Amino acid sequence: MTESNTGNRENLKEAKLPWRDWILLPALSLLTIGLIVASTDLIHRRMFASLYGAVEDCLVFNDPSTGARGIPNSVCREKMPEGEVTEYRFNNCGYRTDGECGSKRPGVYRIVMIGGSYAMGARVPNEKTFAALLPAELSARARRNVEVYNEGMPWRPPHVFALHFNEVLAAKPDMILWIIVPSDIWSPLWQLPRPEPAAQHLSAYRQVRRFLGGAWIGVNEELYSRCGILFRHFLYESQSQTITSYLAQKPDAPYSLKIHGPEFMKAEPSAEWQGHLTDFDGDVAEIVDRAMAAGVPLVATLLPERAQAAMISRGEWPAGFDPYKLDNELRSMIVSRGGTYVDILPAFRNIPNSEQGFFALEGHPNAQGHAMISTLLAAELTNGPAPAIGVTAPHNSVLEQGR
Amino acid sequence: MDTASLQFVAFGLIVVLISNISRSSKWRSIVLMSASIVILSVLARNPLDLLPLAGFLLLGYVGLVLLERGQSRSLVWSILAVIFAYVWLKKYTFLPEGIFINHPYFTLGLSYIFFRILHLLIETGDGNEKRHIGPGAYLLYTLNFTTLVSGPIQRYDEFARDQFAGEPIPLGPRVVGAQLERIIRGFFKVNVLAVLLHLLQEDALAQMYRPFPLSLRLMAAVRLVVVYPFFLYSNFSGYIDIVIALARLMRVRLPENFNRPFSASSVLEFWNQWHITLSNWLKSYVYNPLLLALMRRIPSLAVQPFLGVFCFFVTFFLIGVWHGRTSEFIFFGLLTGGGMSVNKLWQLGLTRVLGRKAYRELAKNPAYEAFGRGLNFVWFAFTLFWFWGSWKQIDAVFSALGVAQWLGVWLSVWLSATVVLASWEWLRAALLSIKTSEGPLLASRYALVVYATALGLVTLVMTGLFNQPAPTIVYKAF
Repeated sequence: MTESNTGNRENLKEAKLPWRDWILLPALSLLTIGLIVASTDLIHRRMFASLYGAVEDCLVFNDPSTGARGIPNSVCREKMPEGEVTEYRFNNCGYRTDGECGSKRPGVYRIVMIGGSYAMGARVPNEKTFAALLPAELSARARRNVEVYNEGMPWRPPHVFALHFNEVLAAKPDMILWIIVPSDIWSPLWQLPRPEPAAQHLSAYRQVRRFLGGAWIGVNEELYSRCGILFRHFLYESQSQTITSYLAQKPDAPYSLKIHGPEFMKAEPSAEWQGHLTDFDGDVAEIVDRAMAAGVPLVATLLPERAQAAMISRGEWPAGFDPYKLDNELRSMIVSRGGTYVDILPAFRNIPNSEQGFFALEGHPNAQGHAMISTLLAAELTNGPAPAIGVTAPHNSVLEQGR
Repeated sequence: MDTASLQFVAFGLIVVLISNISRSSKWRSIVLMSASIVILSVLARNPLDLLPLAGFLLLGYVGLVLLERGQSRSLVWSILAVIFAYVWLKKYTFLPEGIFINHPYFTLGLSYIFFRILHLLIETGDGNEKRHIGPGAYLLYTLNFTTLVSGPIQRYDEFARDQFAGEPIPLGPRVVGAQLERIIRGFFKVNVLAVLLHLLQEDALAQMYRPFPLSLRLMAAVRLVVVYPFFLYSNFSGYIDIVIALARLMRVRLPENFNRPFSASSVLEFWNQWHITLSNWLKSYVYNPLLLALMRRIPSLAVQPFLGVFCFFVTFFLIGVWHGRTSEFIFFGLLTGGGMSVNKLWQLGLTRVLGRKAYRELAKNPAYEAFGRGLNFVWFAFTLFWFWGSWKQIDAVFSALGVAQWLGVWLSVWLSATVVLASWEWLRAALLSIKTSEGPLLASRYALVVYATALGLVTLVMTGLFNQPAPTIVYKAF
């Protein structure tokens, strides 16, 4: 359809456009838009269906005396867009773990795991969570029976762990394993889930606007718009795009993005972040003190955000950011209080595309990520922090290569 | 307002509307000049930064006036002065550091202005075309905002024919539709396709540096080799699509810069289809004069074909060197010139062995063409390592794999490119063979409307999702 520049001027005279084309061409354009919108919607429904409800249906949020807690003996199912059908089965103490609370078989080394949604295994079937995989890996390495009693609970900030510490001790732990994620530091800002408003009927115009808007405005309140999910899911397969988009987040980003944002990696973080980190140090002191008072060793570890894992795996990151910064800060916090810190972040360096162990948009570890975390944790936990499950022969640790 | 951005396209379309208010050439020239000044003032941070460019333009114009007044002896001096000024302003590293201007100044598009000025000087000095170019026309031609930043390099007579025509070239709904489709296509190439390819390249590069398993590094190497040529094509040809379409809407036809370059089945053919205006410029003003001069000095018929080989080497070595001031670009030039010369020698050798007729038949053989196409692609991809990488990067990338592994990578890319590009050619021909009374169905305005709408919608969505600007136009830096 390009004209030759050497062409005769006479050749440039064009035939008149038939009248029907003035209607047909815009109609074709509209039809194309309609077809793309419909097919995107269809693909989204097939690939990224969201069904059944959510884990939040099995949780209680409105009790200030306990904070978030699971409803004992409840079962919920969810299918979030990127994940598979996941069942959450809470035991008689309201935790997503194998076995009833209080019971502990003789001769078993029991680790009670505390933390938030990562620890609970949000969005992943129980048998694929690192809480479920870890016992077998630890038992094989330590050559003794190790079990993990998972008291991980979403929406439970560190200062609320203290309210439940008697439940931790009641589980008769030989070790308390505290899973920390960067968003825990922001916990004072957390907004607990509210009941979903009744589904409202949207006009065709608003549906199209929502479809386009979700994609156009990018990462914002329309995060879960269908078009946005579909395109972003594939786009975030790229490590570069994952990192760039994550780090491009503005300081005034909406709450949900802020608490999962890159502030914790900044060489010069905001005063607000520093304040929350100081508060977190207070929570660390209380939790470690209570564990020490009970004579139970407390081991803490930091699990990365998706983009943080990508940066470590890539081995390079933009100036002004350091994916190991919070790791170092937490280590000195925990160790100075008398706890033990295991450092699994450097091991992500040896895992190609480690960010693929996380849901591209939703951010939690997926089944692959849980398996990865389980292996890394097993290697570190049997490498010193608890002599009872330590291995005597040097193991071929994935952590042996430094940062 | 970066080039090929949404703001640039919107600005261009506003200029198009204003320009078409009147058909008078004076009005269209005023609008074009104003738009070019606006673009220059937006791109330059400070008016003072434009002073060296103004001096460069003045130098060229003085040379032009002298030549127009019949002082043909000033041709060589004018050309040398313009070349020196260009090399000095571009701060080529072979000049002593102390002579450069330390204050930051505007050099965007200087290379392309340089080509246009040299073209004017040479054509005027030759005396083949008797014409007077006033300062207004000179500035319009050299600063034309549609060709300022990265070309295409248009000849003055072509520009003047359309820009100063009493009766401008027609602009009906079919042409408008086709140009809008081309703008959308170009915008998609620069702002979506090139971004995605750039991401792939960055990821592959990062993986090459890491101590990951061999299979991953091999895959990364293949991606690294394959992706960059397509990235560069999307990035540059997308921009060219936009400016050619904008110029056409302003009733000026710019020359094409690309003609399906990856369909070329030899290196010689490739450079007739890639950055066409640069190749043509250098053929006109370097290859031809050099070949003529050498043939005059060495009249032996037996040697003449080899003079052509030598001239190809010099011309395409200069193309490489033109791209940048560092030693990587000198090596890129050596490879490009070397590739052209070897290809020419291959042609000469085969012609001598097989005879002219048999060679022609062989060149038309689909299998020969397909393997040639694959080989050309892989050769171009290889030379581009010195186009995008520094010596340090290239060393790290090549050190990531052993010699045999790299040979395997190049061989597999060659074979894959042969199959994929041949399949594409076959598919394209099959699709274009579906015809209506007005021509191929897929080139009809109905198909183009569908195509443009889909690309436009995808572009709209993807540019919002990227959350980062598209990589700048690579050729803007040259």
